[in-house]
Amino acid sequence: MKKLIAIVEDEPALRDNYAAALSRQGYQCKTYANRRLAMQSFVSHLPDLAIIDISLEDEAEGGFDLCRELRALSAELPIIFLTARDSELDAVSGLRLGADDFLTKDVSLPHLAARVAALFRRIDALRRPENSAEIVRRGALAIDGDKMQTTWKGAPVTLSLTEFWIVHALARNPGHVKNRQQLMDAANVVLDDNTITSHIKRVRRKFQQIDADFDAIQTVYGMGYRWVE
Amino acid sequence: VSIRFQLLLVALATLVLPWAGCQYARELETALRVAQENALLASADTIARALSAEPARVFPNPDDQAFKADQGDLYVYPLHGEPLLDGYRDDWGIPADLETLASSDRLVARLQAGMTDRYLFLYVEVDSAHFTPEPSTVHPGSDRFDRVDLDLLRPDGTPAAYFFATTAPGLIGATSVVTGADGVARTASEPRIQAFWLQNSQGYHLEARLPLSLIGPRLWVQVTDGSSGATAGFTATDPPQGGRLFLTTPGLAELLGTFIRAGTRATVIDSNSLKLGETGELHPRDLGEGPGPGQSWYRRFMAVDTSRWPLASSAPGRLEGQSVSAALAGQSHAEWLRTGSQELLLSAAAPIVVAGQVRGAVVLEQAGDQLLDLRDRALHRLFNFTLWAIAVVVIFLFGFATWISVRIGRLRSAADSAVGNDGSIRLSMPESASTDEIGALARGFERLLARLNEHSQYLRTLGGKLSHELRTPLTIVRSSLDNLESEGLREDQRKYVTRARDGAQRLQSILSALGAAARVEESIKQAERHSFDLRELLVSAVGAYRDGFPGARFELDMPPEACFMRGAPDLIIQMLDKLIENAVDFCPQGGLIGVALSRSSDHYELAVRNDGAPIPDAMLGRLFESLIEHRQGHDDKPHFGLGLYIVRLVAEFHGGRASAANAPQGGAVFTVMLPLI
Repeated sequence: MKKLIAIVEDEPALRDNYAAALSRQGYQCKTYANRRLAMQSFVSHLPDLAIIDISLEDEAEGGFDLCRELRALSAELPIIFLTARDSELDAVSGLRLGADDFLTKDVSLPHLAARVAALFRRIDALRRPENSAEIVRRGALAIDGDKMQTTWKGAPVTLSLTEFWIVHALARNPGHVKNRQQLMDAANVVLDDNTITSHIKRVRRKFQQIDADFDAIQTVYGMGYRWVE
Repeated sequence: VSIRFQLLLVALATLVLPWAGCQYARELETALRVAQENALLASADTIARALSAEPARVFPNPDDQAFKADQGDLYVYPLHGEPLLDGYRDDWGIPADLETLASSDRLVARLQAGMTDRYLFLYVEVDSAHFTPEPSTVHPGSDRFDRVDLDLLRPDGTPAAYFFATTAPGLIGATSVVTGADGVARTASEPRIQAFWLQNSQGYHLEARLPLSLIGPRLWVQVTDGSSGATAGFTATDPPQGGRLFLTTPGLAELLGTFIRAGTRATVIDSNSLKLGETGELHPRDLGEGPGPGQSWYRRFMAVDTSRWPLASSAPGRLEGQSVSAALAGQSHAEWLRTGSQELLLSAAAPIVVAGQVRGAVVLEQAGDQLLDLRDRALHRLFNFTLWAIAVVVIFLFGFATWISVRIGRLRSAADSAVGNDGSIRLSMPESASTDEIGALARGFERLLARLNEHSQYLRTLGGKLSHELRTPLTIVRSSLDNLESEGLREDQRKYVTRARDGAQRLQSILSALGAAARVEESIKQAERHSFDLRELLVSAVGAYRDGFPGARFELDMPPEACFMRGAPDLIIQMLDKLIENAVDFCPQGGLIGVALSRSSDHYELAVRNDGAPIPDAMLGRLFESLIEHRQGHDDKPHFGLGLYIVRLVAEFHGGRASAANAPQGGAVFTVMLPLI
C-alpha cells in the first residue's frame, strides 16, 4: 500500500513540484493550501507523513499551529517542516513542537526524498523486533542506524533527522575531523556554516541534558568537528 | 570673512550716531540763536518804549541836533573816576582814537574830550617839528607861538576865550584873552583852568582841565603852530556855529541798569549814533566749566561759519552797524556780529520814538559765547554718550557674533562627526532645542540624519529581506528543474537543464551571501559566551586557512602565553573568516597575509594585514557599513560588502570595535579590538 504524504504548502507551484517528485518515488501525495483544509482532512484520516510550511497563506505561524494540532492527534506521525524561513528561532520552535526534521527550501528534491525515505525507514525499524547488528557503540554512545535512535549512557537522546545524521557521521570515525561540508553531505542537506554550527550546538545541548559533563563533540577551529572518546 | 568680522563692520554703522548728533546740535544752535535774537529784540523794544515815555531823562538836549564834526561838534566821553592831570590820558580808560581836528593847513592836531562830575577834560596832541615857546610878554593878536585856543560860551551864553601856551613843559594855567572896550586884547591868567604840557619827539601834547561851571553849551578848540602860523580846529563865530558838546546823559546808565539782566550790555544812542549812556558787561558771569581740552576740536568742524558776519564796531563813543541804522530808521533789528577774536556778539536795536520822531535807539548786546558753550557742552555730552553707546554696541555685537559662531561651529563639528568611523550615526545634534534659525538648522540636520539612519538600517536589513523574499521563487525553479530531470531527458535537453541548474545555484549562493549578515545577527542573538583561548583558536584557524588558501602566505604573530577572553568562539571564527577572505581577495597571488594578536592592558588587538593596494581614504570610514563594497576586480564570488559588516557586528557583540587603515609599510590593515574579559 502506498504511503500517504500530506503536503501543506501555500505556494501552488512548489506544492505541485513536491507532490510530483514524491509521487515519482512511489508515495501517494495529498496537498493542502492552508491549515484549515489540512486539518479538516487530518481529523478524518491521518497521513503517514506530513510536510508543512510554517507560514500558510494569511497565517504567519500557521505551520506551527498545525504541527501542534497534528501532534495532538498522533504522537508518532513523522512531521517535516519545509520552509523559506531559516532563522535559528524557527528551527528551535519547530523541533520543540515535536517535528522530526526542519528543512529550508534550499533542499533539493532528491534530498527531500531521501529524508522522507529515512523517516519511513525509521518508523518501520521501530516496528520491527530488536536487531542489534546495526548498532554502533562509541563508549557511552549507542546509535541504532535502522531506528535512527541514539542513546547516551543508556538514556535515549531525541535527535531530529538532521541531527541524527550529523552525530552518526561524527561518531562513525571518532577522532577524525569532519568539516562542515562533510557533515552537510552526511545529513543530506544544503546548509550554510552557521546552520551547521547551530545544529552542533543543539546536539551538544541535548546530550548535556542527559549528562552535564558531555564534551564528546569537539570544535576544531577553522576546520570542523570531531568525536572524541 | 567670519561672521564676527562682518558684524564688526555692521557695528561701524553706529558711527552715524555722532553725525546725526552733530546735525541735531547744529539745528539746536540755530534754533537757540533765533530764540536769543527774538528775546533780545523784545527786551530792546520794551526798553525803548519805556524810555520814550521819559525823553527828558534820556536826551540832554530837548531838541534833536545833528552831530557835525566838521563844524567842531565834540563828543564828550564820560570818565569814570577823575584822571590825574599829568599830560597823559592813559588813566581816562577810553580806548577810542583821538579825533583829528580839521585843518586848512598841514598841521596835524588831535583832540579828545572827557567829562567827570565836576570837570571837562581835554587832551590835545599836536605834531609840531619845532617848538615855539610863549614870549614873556604876549600880544595875543600879533605874536606867533605854539598855542591851543579855547573859545567857549559860558553857561549864561556870554563868550569867553582862553589859550594855553608855555615856555617850558609842565603844569600851566590858561590865559584868558579879554578884549577891552578899546578893542585891544589883553591877557590875564585864569588859574581855574589848568593843563599839563609835555613835549615829545613828534611835537607836544597836553591834558587840560576845565571846571564845568565855566562851560556853557559850546566849546571850540584851535591849535596854532608858532613857527608856520598854521592852524587846525575851530574858533567861535557869531552867530555861534558848531562847537557843540554832545554829552552823555547823567543817570541814564543807572536807569538802563534797572532794565537789563547780567550778561547784557545796554546802550542808548541818539540819532547821531552817539552813546548817551551805557551799562552792563558782556561777560559778567562764569559759565562754570569752560570749554574742555577736547571741545575746541568740536568747534573746529562743528561751528557755523561766521567768517562772513560783520565785525562789531569798536568805536567806543558811537555804535554802528546794520541794526543801529535800521533802528534809527525806525525799525527794530537784530544782527549777529563777530568781535576781533572768535567771539560772537548779538546786537538788537530798537528805536526810541518821541513825538513821532526817532530820537535815538536802545541797543542791547549779548555774547554769543553762551550759546557756543551750551552747544559745546551738549556736544561734549553727546559725544561721551555716543562713544559709550558705540562701545557697548560693538562689544555686544562682538559677543553676539562670537556666540553665534560658537554655536554654528558646534553644529558644524557635530555634523562633521555625525557619521562615525564605524558607520554609526549619531542622531542628536547640539542646539536642536533652540528656537531660532540655528535651532531649526540643527533640527533639519537631525531629520536628515534620521533619514540617513533609516536608510542605512534599511540597507542593513535589505540583504536579509531580499534573500528571504527570493528564496521561494528560486525554490520553485530548482524543484521544477529537479522534477524535469526526473522525467528522463534526452541528452541534448539535459545540458539546458544543467545550465539552468548552474544558474539557479549561483542565484542560490548570491542569496545566501545576501542573507549572511541577517543570519549572523540572528546567531548573535542566540550566542552564548564562554571563556576560551584566543591564541589556540588563532593557531587552529590559521592552520586551516593555510590549507584553504594555498595561494597566499600566512604569518602569525602572537604573544607566547594563552590569551583567554570571554565570548563566542564560533562568531570570532566567522569574523576571522571574513577578515581572511577579504585579505585574500586583495592580496596578490603569493602575497603575505599577516595575522597578529597583541595584548594591551585592557584589550586584545587582532590585526589582519594584506599586501594589496591601499584603500582610498574616503572609503576607510565606511568599509564596515552594510552593502559598502570596495572591490574593483571581478571574481566568481558575489560580493555585497557584507563581510566587513559582519566583522563589525561580531566585534560590537564582544564589546569591541573594528577599524581599517593603510599600513605604513604598504597594504591595508584591518584591526579588531576585543576587550580582555
